[in-house]
Amino acid sequence: MNHTSESPYPLARHSHSMSPDTRHLLWSVAPGVAWIVIFLVLPSLYLIGVAFMTNGPYGQPQMPLSLDAFRQLAGFGFLGWSPGNLYTLLRSLWQTLVATGLVILVAYPLAYYISTCRDKLRPIMLLAVVVPSWTNQVIRAFGWMNLLSPGTPLADAAQALGLIGPNMGLYPSNFAVTLGLIYNFLPFMVLPLYAAFEKLDMALVEAARDLYASPVRAFWHAVFPQTLSGLLAGTVLVSIPAFGMYVIPELLGGGKAMMLGNLVANQFSGGSNWPLGAAGALIMLVATFGGLYAMRKVGKRLGGGEEVVI
Amino acid sequence: MKRGAFQRGLSLFWWLMLAFLYLPLAVIVFYSFNSANSAAYFAGFSLRWYERLLNNDQLLDALSNSLTLGIASSIIALIVGTLIGYGMYRHRSRKLGWLIVLIYLPIVMPDIVFGISDMAFFITLDREFGILGPSLMTMIIAHVTFQIPFVALIVYSRFVGLDPTLFEAAKDLYASPFQRARHFLLPTLKPSLIAAFFLSFTLSIDDFVISFFTAGPENATLPIYIWGAIRRGVSPEINAIATLMIGAVVIAAVFSLLFNRRGHAGS
Repeated sequence: MNHTSESPYPLARHSHSMSPDTRHLLWSVAPGVAWIVIFLVLPSLYLIGVAFMTNGPYGQPQMPLSLDAFRQLAGFGFLGWSPGNLYTLLRSLWQTLVATGLVILVAYPLAYYISTCRDKLRPIMLLAVVVPSWTNQVIRAFGWMNLLSPGTPLADAAQALGLIGPNMGLYPSNFAVTLGLIYNFLPFMVLPLYAAFEKLDMALVEAARDLYASPVRAFWHAVFPQTLSGLLAGTVLVSIPAFGMYVIPELLGGGKAMMLGNLVANQFSGGSNWPLGAAGALIMLVATFGGLYAMRKVGKRLGGGEEVVI
Repeated sequence: MKRGAFQRGLSLFWWLMLAFLYLPLAVIVFYSFNSANSAAYFAGFSLRWYERLLNNDQLLDALSNSLTLGIASSIIALIVGTLIGYGMYRHRSRKLGWLIVLIYLPIVMPDIVFGISDMAFFITLDREFGILGPSLMTMIIAHVTFQIPFVALIVYSRFVGLDPTLFEAAKDLYASPFQRARHFLLPTLKPSLIAAFFLSFTLSIDDFVISFFTAGPENATLPIYIWGAIRRGVSPEINAIATLMIGAVVIAAVFSLLFNRRGHAGS
C-alpha cells in the first residue's frame, strides 16, 4: 500500500534507534493507537478471557479457568443435554447463508440493470438503493413490524394462502428475520456488483456471441467471471455483519428465531452468564476474522495480484 | 424482440425492488398522520402524534443526549483521527501493517462484540476501581473508538492525493511546525476535516448497538428511546419520531445529490 519512498527523512528510514523520525511517528499516532488499544483491544481480550472463566452465583465470572462456557454452548447444562444453544448457533449460520444467497439473487440483476441505464440516471438509481439504509436500523425493523403484523394486507394474504394460522402475523418468525436481513444488506451487495458491471469488458461478450455461444453460455463464460470480484466483496460485506446481527432477530424474530448475537446479549442482561456470553462472542470473532481471511485468500486467487476491496 | 422483453422484465424488477425498499418507510410515514391509535387502519389525517412529541420530555432528553454524544465524540475523534492520518501519511514508507490492522479493527469488529466487550470492561472497571461506570462518558469513549478509523482514513487519503513537493515547499516557506500547520496543513485539510466531522457525527447518531450496551440507565439516545418504546408496546408516537428521522435522511440524500452534481460540473 505504501512503499513509495518519498519519506522526508530518507536517511533515517532504516535506523532502529529512537530517531526524530520515529519520535514524530509515535507522537502523531500514539493518542489514537492508545485509544483503540485501551478501549477496544483490551476489552476484547478481557472478554476472551471471561469465556474461559467459571460462572459465579451472581452471573459474574470467577476463577478457576474452565471450558464450562463452551460446554454450555454445546448444550451441556445442569439439566443434562439440551440443544437450544446449538440450534441458535446453527440458525445463525443458516440465516446468514440463506440471506446472503437471496441478496445475491436479487442484487445481481438489479446491479446489471443499473449499469445498462443512461449515465445521468445511474447515480440517482444507486442513491435510491442506498438511501433506505441511511435510516436507523431500529426504524427499518419497525417498518417491517408494521407491515407484517396481524391484520395487515401481507398477513391477510398469507392467511388466505394458509401459510399462517388465523389472527396471526408474519412476525415474529424466522421468515421475518430473513426478510429483514435481505432488506438490511441489499445495498451492500448492489454497490460492489455495480462497480464490477460498470467496468465489464463487453468485447468478451461480443466475441462469445460472434462464436455462436448461446446467451446462457456467453453469460457464464464471458460475464460471470468478470463480476466475481464484486460478488466476493459483496459477500464479505453482507455475510459477516449478518452473522453478528442483533437488532433484526431481536425485533422481528422472537424466542424461536434467536441468533448468536441475541444469545450473547442475553447472557449479559437477563440471563447473567458472562462466560457463556463471552464464549458466544469469541465464536463470532473467530467467524469474522476467519471469514475475512478466507475471503482474502479466495480474492487473491481470483484477481491474481489484484486486491479485492475488503 | 427477445432482448426488449428481457430489458422490460429487468425494468419491472427494478420498480418492484424499489417498492420493497421504500414500503417499510412509507408505512411509517403514512401511519404517523393517522388520527387513530392503530397501525391496522387509517382513520383520518391528524398531527396529534407530532404535537405529543413536543411535550414528551423523555424524548427531548434523548434528542439532547444524541446531539451531545454526537458532537462531543466527533470533536475528539477528529483530533485523534487526524493525527493518525497525518502520521500514516508522513511515514507511509515504513512498514505500518500493524497500524493498518489496528485501524481496521473497529470497522470489522461485529457491533455486538464491540458493545459487549466495552460494557463488560466498563462494568468491571467500575466495580473494581469505581471509575468509568456506564454513563454518557463511556458512550462517548466507545463512539470515538469507532469514529477514529474513518477520520484517519479520510485525512490519509486527502494527503495521498496531494503533490508531495507541496510539503517541501511549505517547509521552505514557513519556519516552525506550528506555522506550517496553521498556514498549510489546516487550510488544505479543511474540506476533508468537515467531511470527517459530519461522517463521524452521522455514524454516532445512527449507532444503536454500541450505544445500547455502553449507556447508563439515564443516557438513552434517540435510537435507544425508540427501541424502548417499541419494546413497551407500539405507540403511534414512534411513527412520528421515525418519520422526522426519515425526513432528515431524505434531506441528506437530496443534498448529496446536489453536491455530487456540483462536483461533476466543476471537474
